[in-house]
Amino acid sequence: MANELDCRGMNCPAPVLQVRNTLEKGALASLTVLLDNEAARQNVCRFLENQNYEVSSEKSGDEYRVFANRGDLPKETAAVPSISPINKRGDAKRKIMVLVTGIYMGHGDDGLGDMLMFNFLKTLKEMGGELWRLSFVNSGVTFTVEGSEAVPILQELADSGVKITACGACLAYFHVLDKIQVGEVTNMLEIVNGMREADSVITV
Amino acid sequence: MNYKPLKLTQTVRGSGCAAKLAPGILHKALCGLDLPVDSNLLIGLENPDDAGIYKVSDDLALVQTLDFFPPMVDDPFRFGQIAAANALSDIYAMGGTPKTAMNIVAFPSSSMDISVLRSIIEGGLSKMREAGVVLVGGHTVEDSELKYGLSVTGYIDPHRILAKRSLQVGDRLILTKPLGTGIVTTAIKAGFADEELTERVTEAMATLNREAAVVMADFSVHACTDVTGFGFLGHLAEMVVDSGCGVCINASAVPVYKEAVEWASMGLIPAGAYNNRDFRGTFVQFSATVPQKIQDILFDPQTSGGLLIAVSEEESEKLLTALQMRGIKPASVVGEVVASPIDMIIVN
Repeated sequence: MANELDCRGMNCPAPVLQVRNTLEKGALASLTVLLDNEAARQNVCRFLENQNYEVSSEKSGDEYRVFANRGDLPKETAAVPSISPINKRGDAKRKIMVLVTGIYMGHGDDGLGDMLMFNFLKTLKEMGGELWRLSFVNSGVTFTVEGSEAVPILQELADSGVKITACGACLAYFHVLDKIQVGEVTNMLEIVNGMREADSVITV
Repeated sequence: MNYKPLKLTQTVRGSGCAAKLAPGILHKALCGLDLPVDSNLLIGLENPDDAGIYKVSDDLALVQTLDFFPPMVDDPFRFGQIAAANALSDIYAMGGTPKTAMNIVAFPSSSMDISVLRSIIEGGLSKMREAGVVLVGGHTVEDSELKYGLSVTGYIDPHRILAKRSLQVGDRLILTKPLGTGIVTTAIKAGFADEELTERVTEAMATLNREAAVVMADFSVHACTDVTGFGFLGHLAEMVVDSGCGVCINASAVPVYKEAVEWASMGLIPAGAYNNRDFRGTFVQFSATVPQKIQDILFDPQTSGGLLIAVSEEESEKLLTALQMRGIKPASVVGEVVASPIDMIIVN
């Protein structure tokens, strides 16, 4: 299957970050990136060359296509940790546990809090490899169940290796225990143990 | 949990001097314009330099400049400081003394709290105070993206103007700040730079070129410019083109942020660096030993970069020592002016 990444309409450094995020999920034997400006093309080429890819590119009209290949990898997506650390912080990996205690972020206006929380969940992936566990309690558990817009976002996090848990008693309280779509049902003991094991716990 | 603090750099597309209009495009807009003539205009658009100079009397001239840009750091006060230091720099690069300044502000009042603007202006004022400059006014417009800067006026001795284009063969070139701020600020925007580096680079960008200018006033400096949006090689090209001499740069002697080298190879390079290379690349010849990432840094657009000073060989070591004694530690001799090839920059 061809791996293609559409980075048109993005200015630097966004295309490089997109490519980096993609490769972080697992090394790819080949990748094609679509771009619409020369600076982005050169930056993506530099990044991929730095990751030991053989890179070529072509221009058609206002669009650029960058082709990257790594002969040392199998054709199918391999679950090899591919990326060299881009900064010092990546060296000493911390474990961050995020505890979501409700459906709103902050107090004041619930409409705003609703929007902020959704945005927060969407942005969480920027924590990168340090995000270790994401646990939901109280009304927060409803993010993990059928019908929640957050499910695909959480699924993506789960796929990238984040352990997602939802409090079983809470799911039962809201009568949605059988509707959970992403993550695992957990209990208070596991939550407390997670807090002890994590390097830092962020409560929202 | 508190709301996420405002990140100024996330609100804009370009940042700092990296947001400068591509030099080639600007050239198209300006070439062949019918400009008013006045014999007191010593330096104007016909022979563009860091700042314009207008003679008032035999021993006094006004030196004027203007600079403004979108934020390249997230802290509003620091942004104000950097924008002010950057604007004041052009006056220092000409050998002048800044006296008055006016704020130029574009502000998105619908999406940003007005306290942000206050912090920015306070930052600017702190640098004006340090420079002995008074704020005389300003102008603010509503805009979708934040921008801040200053219009600065200073005094200069019309007999002692440090123009760009007066290199002499044998001169040594001294650079007073490390290169790589465009790449580092791109990395800050991408969330890669840690706090220590962010603070170190922010402090360097907020540092006035005043000390360097004061030191250099005691030496027979032949030419000077400040390194900003066109990058080290872009600004050096302005000194070299039509100068009748050439320049030889020792790439390994050029002070750079080592983190910028790593990020350059990762492709965290602002578009401005490529524009600078497109515009001035034909005047530059790299030897095969200069790695791509170093070439990129030499074209990287700088925000509030250092002074690039051409001084005679005899005085170069003394000037370098004097700069370092005054705390300008990164100052380094980075190259020399050669008789040939004419109008070319050789990077070894």
